[in-house]
Amino acid sequence: MTGALIDLSFAAFSLVAIVAGVRVFRTDSMVRAAFYLLASFAATGGIMVLLGAEFLGMVLILMMAGEMLVMAIVMVMYMMNPAGLNPMVMVHQPRTAVVAGVIAFLAIAGVGLSGEVPSRPAPDPAAATAELGRELLGNSMLVFQTAGVTLLATMVGAIAIAAPRGRHGDAAEGSEEPGLQPDEEASA
Amino acid sequence: MSPLLEVIAAAAAVAGLLAVGALALAIGDGVAGAVVAGRPIRVLPLLTAPVARAMLAARTGSTTTERPDGAGRAVAPALLAGLAALAMVLLPLGPGVALADPDTGFVVYSAAVAFVMIAVFLHGWSPNSTLPLHGAYRFGAVALSFQIPFLLAMLATALPAQSLSIVRIVEAQAGLWNVVREPLGLPIYLVVGLAVGFWGPLNLPDGDDLAGGTSAEDAGWARWLWQVARLSMLVAVAALGAAAFLGGYFGPILPGPLWVALKTGLLLAVMAGAQHLLARVRIERFVGVAWVLLVPLALLNVFVSGAFLL
Repeated sequence: MTGALIDLSFAAFSLVAIVAGVRVFRTDSMVRAAFYLLASFAATGGIMVLLGAEFLGMVLILMMAGEMLVMAIVMVMYMMNPAGLNPMVMVHQPRTAVVAGVIAFLAIAGVGLSGEVPSRPAPDPAAATAELGRELLGNSMLVFQTAGVTLLATMVGAIAIAAPRGRHGDAAEGSEEPGLQPDEEASA
Repeated sequence: MSPLLEVIAAAAAVAGLLAVGALALAIGDGVAGAVVAGRPIRVLPLLTAPVARAMLAARTGSTTTERPDGAGRAVAPALLAGLAALAMVLLPLGPGVALADPDTGFVVYSAAVAFVMIAVFLHGWSPNSTLPLHGAYRFGAVALSFQIPFLLAMLATALPAQSLSIVRIVEAQAGLWNVVREPLGLPIYLVVGLAVGFWGPLNLPDGDDLAGGTSAEDAGWARWLWQVARLSMLVAVAALGAAAFLGGYFGPILPGPLWVALKTGLLLAVMAGAQHLLARVRIERFVGVAWVLLVPLALLNVFVSGAFLL
């Protein structure tokens, strides 16, 4: 891609990331907020691809699709709002949040502007992906395998708790309505 | 050629390929239905049925629901069609010939398949209506279940290529097609493909048992657009499946692009047949089979493919 096209793409992705990020808090529905967050992440993934981290950027986009859907469903599940379409306010303690957000933004912007920007040309995407693979299965293998096994154990545990045939017996047990005739039920 | 013209030409090529494929699938589906039901195959009505449906859609008014999410209803069909186009861009038509050949083509295709769940969920959630919402939740369960078997089945095809580029994955099948090298891969991929296009036995989000599911509230051209987007997605899944497992453009005598079309057509014919020969699967059964059967089989497939490379 030529320089101008890269600049234009960067501007477009940044705009989408920021506008969608703001909309996460300004919208009135859990599901919409999740989808705006997804758009923001997808645009950030696009910027990572522009930066030469093609694999990481695409994997970010790939993973976020499932994660945001699960997040939306779980959030709706805990609300008295079956479809997530009833209007609701998406922020708590708005004043505190605004102050904290502005301070965090200034701090990050300050670090970004005052710090030295490294100038290391990125290797071509295939080489960058190969380097990442060597890192994951080389020096960082122990860290990633530990995290991976922990997550796997968590998933097995979650399924064991949620499965219909859990360690406390069949989930449907005792959930049937009592019969119309109490005597019949007792004799049965 | 200027870059702008190139982009327009590429977009037109992708749209043309998807339109031809979707039309072929719609007609093939009608033929398969006639064959399975033992009805005589009347050529002219079968050929004109898709056109008649389009004209009917154009003349039917659209509907609206109470407090829908307008943006979501508009975006969902466009997103699904766009994902089909994104996958089609990666399709190799000849040695080194593809509209785009990113080094991470495999991940780009996987991301397109992952976003189908967003498109379908959005389509079912946005009308603010019961049956579409049921369809949306169903597809959430289906999509999260097919994701890992899909990734593992595709990953096994990247092993012999030692690359994530779709062009390289096809090139690596010059001597032996992946369907022979990894016999488990294509069946898993086809099951997943039916789920990605919510088609036939795995048409759970849009099934007749939900009165159309996520499209229950759609009418007129909106319903037609969604169907076309869905058919386009199936065509893209079949085309990429032909590239990943059936050797893409490799084949004797005939030119490469024709082989791509024939192999894609073969997979589409299997899908059209499945629509009429197999009953709809219950969602609990599909989720169970995906996690308990397809994931271990796909892992075995990866191990066997890896062992052959040692």
